[in-house]
Amino acid sequence: MKKGKKIFALALMVFLVSAALTGCGSNTKSNTASKTSDTLIYAQGAEPRGLDPAMVDDGESAKVMINIYEGLLKYNKDSTKVEPSLAKSWEVSPDGLTYTFHLQEGVKFQDGTDFNADAVKFNIDRQLPPQATKDMAYASFVYGSVKNVEVVDKNTVKINLTAPSTPFLNNLAMAMSAPIVSPKALQDNKNNVNQAPVGTGPYKFVKWAKDENIVLVRNDQYWGTKALTQNVIFKFIKDNSARVVALNNGEADMIDGIDATVVKQITDAGNKIFQAPGMNINYMAYNTSKKPFNDSKLRVAISQAINVPEMVKSLYQGYAEPATSILPTFMEGYDKSVSQVAYDPKASAETLKAAGLTSVHVITYTNPRPYNSANGQALAEAIQGYFSKVGITATIDSYDWTTYKAKVKAGDYDIAFYGWVGDNGDPDNFMYLLGVNDPGLNIALYKNAEFNKLIAKGVATPAGAERNAIYTQLEKIAAADAAWLPISHAQTLAAYRPNVDGFYFHMTGVTPFAGVSKK
Amino acid sequence: MLKYIIKRILMLIPVLLGVSIIVFLIMRVFSPDPAPIVLGQHATQQAVETWRQANGLNDPIILQYFHFITGAVTGDMGTSYYTKAPVLQEILSRFPATIELALVAIILAAIFGILIGVISAVKKNSIFDNAGMFIALIGVSMPIFWLGILLIILFSGTLHWLPSSGRINPMLQPAGVTGFYLIDSLIAGDMEAFADALQHLVLPAVALAMYSMAIIARMSRSSMLETLQQDYIRTARAKGVSEGRVIRKHALRNGLIPIVTVIGLQLGSLLGGAVLTETVFSWPGIGAYTVTCILKSDFPVVQGVVLLIATVFVLVNLVVDVIYAFLDPRIKFSKKEG
Repeated sequence: MKKGKKIFALALMVFLVSAALTGCGSNTKSNTASKTSDTLIYAQGAEPRGLDPAMVDDGESAKVMINIYEGLLKYNKDSTKVEPSLAKSWEVSPDGLTYTFHLQEGVKFQDGTDFNADAVKFNIDRQLPPQATKDMAYASFVYGSVKNVEVVDKNTVKINLTAPSTPFLNNLAMAMSAPIVSPKALQDNKNNVNQAPVGTGPYKFVKWAKDENIVLVRNDQYWGTKALTQNVIFKFIKDNSARVVALNNGEADMIDGIDATVVKQITDAGNKIFQAPGMNINYMAYNTSKKPFNDSKLRVAISQAINVPEMVKSLYQGYAEPATSILPTFMEGYDKSVSQVAYDPKASAETLKAAGLTSVHVITYTNPRPYNSANGQALAEAIQGYFSKVGITATIDSYDWTTYKAKVKAGDYDIAFYGWVGDNGDPDNFMYLLGVNDPGLNIALYKNAEFNKLIAKGVATPAGAERNAIYTQLEKIAAADAAWLPISHAQTLAAYRPNVDGFYFHMTGVTPFAGVSKK
Repeated sequence: MLKYIIKRILMLIPVLLGVSIIVFLIMRVFSPDPAPIVLGQHATQQAVETWRQANGLNDPIILQYFHFITGAVTGDMGTSYYTKAPVLQEILSRFPATIELALVAIILAAIFGILIGVISAVKKNSIFDNAGMFIALIGVSMPIFWLGILLIILFSGTLHWLPSSGRINPMLQPAGVTGFYLIDSLIAGDMEAFADALQHLVLPAVALAMYSMAIIARMSRSSMLETLQQDYIRTARAKGVSEGRVIRKHALRNGLIPIVTVIGLQLGSLLGGAVLTETVFSWPGIGAYTVTCILKSDFPVVQGVVLLIATVFVLVNLVVDVIYAFLDPRIKFSKKEG
């Protein structure tokens, strides 16, 4: 009897293993072949924080949400200009205080409820005081200038502002805060749809296996052009080299978070690289609140010591553009006549010697950032090399990113490294960093009343040549005062398999899949 | 026996209290402020203060601990700062992945470890012995993440035999009854999903099993060598018992006690989450998740996970002690205690 049991157990084992390796193996292939052609698999480096646009602030969430939700407006595919989406047209009152949106008709949320003016009001109201909670990371950024929302009729909604704000239209196309969520879903889920998103977009949420994947399926009731592919799967693969193997092995159709070091490995396997300008800035900041860098002459002298184009080429191997201004080149207000302090080690050494400056305290971060794929330490060390040529000894203290942010806020440094990833594609979103009174954002602690006045004017001026001129002027002031040394704009790099068609990564960091298909 | 088990379970209380105090203090003292991480790049100083106040982080630390421990006793571990999901739900959704991987790895490690150890001991100083101990040496010395990456490059990248990451093809994922995909797919009768889950398990399980297998092999060898020197082995042989029977019934059973201890300890640490293996293979378990949460200063989650792991560790050790009694009838806990 005992022996019989043993033999049975052994036989079962053999059966299971052989079934796994042979019979079912071939079955798997034929089945997945029919399934995979209608499934796009996108591998990203981290799990989204959640899928409620009001509750999250991370790019990983945005990539998923952009496929589920839509906002009143959306960005043009190749720029950050806004286009109609759930709003088919809009008017701005002459005083810039009232925005009237005419909504698409007959649009339904994925739960079958109607999209209308009430839904828009519901979504904005939950992010305005008194309903807004402190952890709605983008509520005050997107809706900070909103006074109230009025429902004019079923398909018309009026948003009143407290002060004119030109970036407001761009905000409404963002993947954070601005997307419209089904009010019913919000009511059913205690005002938090992080785990149960319902929007009007081309894909519907199916399931989320924590730390593994999120599955979306085509919304066949979608009001616009329906998505080309049936299923989209977002896989989370933390390790960079494992993500590349997954692409080359066919376990993923598209991946992101790659850097220059793996490009050859990817192209050698027959896969393609997606490369586009990125909406970010990688910069070095001087602590302008204390000696020695409260003196702009010394800031200029230090900036003169650094050969930015040479350094950017060697650190990022052609996958970042040397920055000539704070604004990315594709943005409204960018002016190519603006340039930063030019490389001049001789002049630099003379000024520094005359001032008697021989050492600086530099702090930096140890990990790669979206705007700096090489990591802060490599950047700081490259700059240390340039400093030594002009007689300056740099002491570098490096910290992991979270500790580093606290150190930056504490303000105990002469020079620090930082960067910014744009939110809404508006020039104010970059230039305001030098005007705001917050050590976590304006890390140079730069104060200039004239600059701040122009920032306020830029926000209130309607889009156009007059407004762009204001930002060009701001750029010129920033370059002359040299509180920052803009270093580079990192390019967006992603990779995809050769049979994938229509894949693109928008400069705002999102990946809409409705137009992507697989041969 | 029952009295002994109850006593051991009661011992959990001081252990967990101690562990909770240590993890609580370490997180509060050494971790960066969670507020800026939760609130994002636009957070103002004022928003940070309001958030800290609302989450009780400005209270005296004793009071914070009191709130945490009273919640934990009633089963409320709080909500994750970062994702706002209940901590218990976040942990439970990931724990089955860790258990499944740990069990498969420990089974592999135990089978091959004991096999190598016993053969090495019986054929002492032979080529088997040397080869076995060489494998064991590689197992204890090779960094697990490196082994993992090598396995991925060879079996996924080059040969394309096995998947490199994840637990299962998402389109085949069985409905969650137990959370163990091997069992769930069998319950659903979906052999395709079962095969797929098994294929996904191979590489991480082998990578994870390697170190434990090496330890078990070395322990088995020395334990067997010692047992084979005993008088009762000589007696058994003198009585004419066949060599195979001597090794299986007389030597191995007596030599197993230290081996079971080692297996128990290894299983305990594997259940705590194999951080490196889980990261390299994108295995959605508790280990890699905990590291992410530590980096995000997500205090409630880290506290919850550490308490869970401590509990599991203590329970696994209890099970090991109970197994002793079955292996060696001379060990009787009730008498010893009484």
